[in-house]
Amino acid sequence: MARSQVAPPEDPALRERFEREVLPLLPNLYGAALRMTRNPQDAEDLVQETYLRAYRGFAGFQEGTNLRAWVYRILTNTFINSYRKKQREPVTVPDDDTADWYLYDKLGGSNVEASAESEVLEKIPDEDVQRALEDLPDGFRMAVLLADVEGFSYKEIAEILDVPIGTVMSRLHRGRKALQKALWETVRERGLVTD
Amino acid sequence: MLRQIELYLDGELVGSLHVEIERHLGGCHPCSGHADFQRKLKEILRSKCGCREVPADLLERVRSLLEHQPDPTA
Repeated sequence: MARSQVAPPEDPALRERFEREVLPLLPNLYGAALRMTRNPQDAEDLVQETYLRAYRGFAGFQEGTNLRAWVYRILTNTFINSYRKKQREPVTVPDDDTADWYLYDKLGGSNVEASAESEVLEKIPDEDVQRALEDLPDGFRMAVLLADVEGFSYKEIAEILDVPIGTVMSRLHRGRKALQKALWETVRERGLVTD
Repeated sequence: MLRQIELYLDGELVGSLHVEIERHLGGCHPCSGHADFQRKLKEILRSKCGCREVPADLLERVRSLLEHQPDPTA
């Protein structure tokens, strides 16, 4: 094992800082873990594993960089390495030829009164919106989750997923379109609009 | 233009480009309709897919997990 003979000193101040700044991220991390793993037990395990790894690596966190993005990167990597293998196959994301603004256009073409499109969105049950997001393939789901649910910038998402910003933009754009397509199916199945 | 609006709504446009899109949305009804809808969609995702219920004892379990770890090394 390549370990120095004298262990570096342990630092109680780091423990305190971790408890002060990283533990409060738990609700968001759990929410994101739930959307990634799609089930509560795996989400709890993923969060615990993430905390353990973050804690052990906390000394390596670079001061002045984004702590929240750093933790999400650990979450994402832990998910990809440990949980993704047992996931069910998700739906495919349409190529980029799907019309932009899919859902809005569809709603506009149905018997929805002008400016009522947004109200239709409110009526979609939470579980259906969650399902639509969870059904996106990993790369697209992560991008949309990190941008729209967690509020990260493109640059932060690029760091978390370790991909170029152009890839983030493309995944977001295509992921959102696929999401709108799925939501449109829901809207129709639930009878929230008439064709 | 619609791709630019997506960037605008994501808060990724700065300076003159941001101003340009903002001005355009002020005068273009179809585009502002699109933008309002996309903004709403983002809100819905945030409110419906964010976490509201963390398992009651998860924080305690994480704490106890970390208690058994040595302090992070400086």
